[in-house]
Amino acid sequence: MFERVLIANRGEIALRILRACRTLGIGAVLAYSEADRDSLAAQLADEAICIGPADAKRSYLSASALISAAVVTGCDAIHPGYGFLSEDAGFAEAVAAHGLTFVGPPAEVLERFASKEGTRRLLAAHGLPTIPGSDGLLHDDEHALAEAERIGYPVLVKPSAGGGGMGMRMVRTPRELQAALRVCRSEARAAFGDDSLYLEKWLEENRHVEVQVVVDRYGHGVHLGERDCSVQRRHQKLIEEAPTPALPEASRAELAERAIRAVVAAGYENLGTLEFLVDRDQSFYFIEINCRIQVEHPVTELLTGIDMVATQLRIAAGEPLGFSQADVTFRGHAIEFRINAEDAAHDFRSHAGTVERFYAPGGPGVRMDSHLYAGYEVPPYYDSLLGKLIVWGPDRPSAIARGRAALDELVVDGVITNRAFHRAVLDNPAFVEGRVTTSLIDRVGGAAFMAPRS
Amino acid sequence: MADHDADAPERTPEERRADHAAIDRLADELLPALVAKLGASGLGELDVREGRWRLRLRMPGDGRATRRTGSAGRSPARLEGHAPAAGHPAANPAAPAADAPYPAAPDPAVPLGPGIAPVPEVAPTRAVATSPAVGFFQPRPGLAAGARVRAGDRLGTIDVLGVPQELVAPADGIVGATVVDPGDPVEYGQPVVEIELLDEPAAGRGDAGRGTDAAAGGGAAEPRDAGPGASPAPGGEAG
Repeated sequence: MFERVLIANRGEIALRILRACRTLGIGAVLAYSEADRDSLAAQLADEAICIGPADAKRSYLSASALISAAVVTGCDAIHPGYGFLSEDAGFAEAVAAHGLTFVGPPAEVLERFASKEGTRRLLAAHGLPTIPGSDGLLHDDEHALAEAERIGYPVLVKPSAGGGGMGMRMVRTPRELQAALRVCRSEARAAFGDDSLYLEKWLEENRHVEVQVVVDRYGHGVHLGERDCSVQRRHQKLIEEAPTPALPEASRAELAERAIRAVVAAGYENLGTLEFLVDRDQSFYFIEINCRIQVEHPVTELLTGIDMVATQLRIAAGEPLGFSQADVTFRGHAIEFRINAEDAAHDFRSHAGTVERFYAPGGPGVRMDSHLYAGYEVPPYYDSLLGKLIVWGPDRPSAIARGRAALDELVVDGVITNRAFHRAVLDNPAFVEGRVTTSLIDRVGGAAFMAPRS
Repeated sequence: MADHDADAPERTPEERRADHAAIDRLADELLPALVAKLGASGLGELDVREGRWRLRLRMPGDGRATRRTGSAGRSPARLEGHAPAAGHPAANPAAPAADAPYPAAPDPAVPLGPGIAPVPEVAPTRAVATSPAVGFFQPRPGLAAGARVRAGDRLGTIDVLGVPQELVAPADGIVGATVVDPGDPVEYGQPVVEIELLDEPAAGRGDAGRGTDAAAGGGAAEPRDAGPGASPAPGGEAG
């Protein structure tokens, strides 16, 4: 096992990694930007080292700053968290080249799964159904139009290098497609340095269901069940829960089993999440794989009792997984609410500011993963995630009841949050009945969702 | 530091050149000796007149000489677990007095209240070259206290994974204390070498001590850090 891990991230996930390190008896050094000097993780870590200015390009996205920080502080591994460099094969390779361990899939594995389009083909070859789409990447507008015609409108234009729903456009006509191609190309070039695009058939009334897998270095893998992340806004997840209310138990088991078989066969290693679309007919289609710990991992932790970050660290250190599929049991129902510094009543505008009061809710089945404290200044440079409230109950109705109570108890003063939005969702019949689809919030709008119904 | 009796705006280009020459001469010949003398004397302040010019030196610890970026007070302590040998004590004396009013002995030449300096007069102030990166510090060969440097002069390097990044002087001045031992690790923004400022009245200097960007720009070799407006001396604070 490692002796000392550099945490190359910020916010709540930095705290989460720190907790896993403490549990395993590993030293933890926090790498922070100047904007995060006063962060909770910086205060709690065994050691903290400033790696650069607020600008992420020169701090959390700077491979040399992070690796140098690990060397300087005597760390033997780097945990990248999520976002930033967590799925960057070049970074993973550089970390290894300096004799350190990247806590995640090895560089060659990240490389193999780097292209969405390539991954789609790879896992389709290993038995996963994929959404009908273009035959490979789009060469030019003419090719795109022909492929869209063949697939049938509406279609989704997607950047091959993208992630997290960034840079995607749904189009219903050839005319819209031509305009979208231009925009998507330049956006993808700017955001990812790669403007290759592909098309997918747009499926209406979808749910987003993802399967958590964990595979050790020796090809031994298990799945940790699925999560339903259908409450989204512009492809950004807001609420995640498990099990999914969209599928009966037999289908859920089949989905998870096919997912783990495919990734093990394709040579995946470490933690990963396979995202699927589930349509009206309960058919599922593989979309993409996330080669990292995810924001919503606590949902799975509450259901299985497995510390996923600790597991990730153990696997990265070369330990065998140590448990089999039969050892994994799922209990009850869990729901996670992403508490963001954004105003749901005003198009989810994000906010920065100083937290004046912060009271985390508690009680049975209530977990709050947050880096907030009274007096904390939310920096404007990074994402708006302030924390995650996760509730567990023996069944979905009791989890929802605990969610209502916990959201009512949560106090964050000084910064506008989406707490009231979450509270409204829990009273919405579509959510209570388990019918939310991924486009619902965008269609209805955050403000309308929160408006009291007569 | 250099106090000019005439009204600054009325000087001709010739006079300005003469002023610069005089400042250079004072800085090169007189200042190093005075810095050494002040250090050895245990006095808080030295005030010397030389023709039309007056030099006044104050020891750090009066709360006005240095203002550090937030990292200064904390980073050394945080790195201590790993590098207990770093020259941290030198970073501390100024810190406790950071907000204290100027306590030095009354100055007969400037009959103003404590903490109030005459407008054209600039007390000796200090800039700090801060590390542009995380790595290991190596001073330039021969770098010694008392040497005259100009803004942008190389003071040493920060070794980042085998690639040296330059640590440069943030302002014209005299090399003071080097607060990190050779070969010791430094974090981004950590004070490494102190520079006693030699500058004209600080009209254009501004208070760059607090701004993290300015602090980074002053010490960093990367041009994009500095920007056109970053010539002000980080850490320097005009009375």
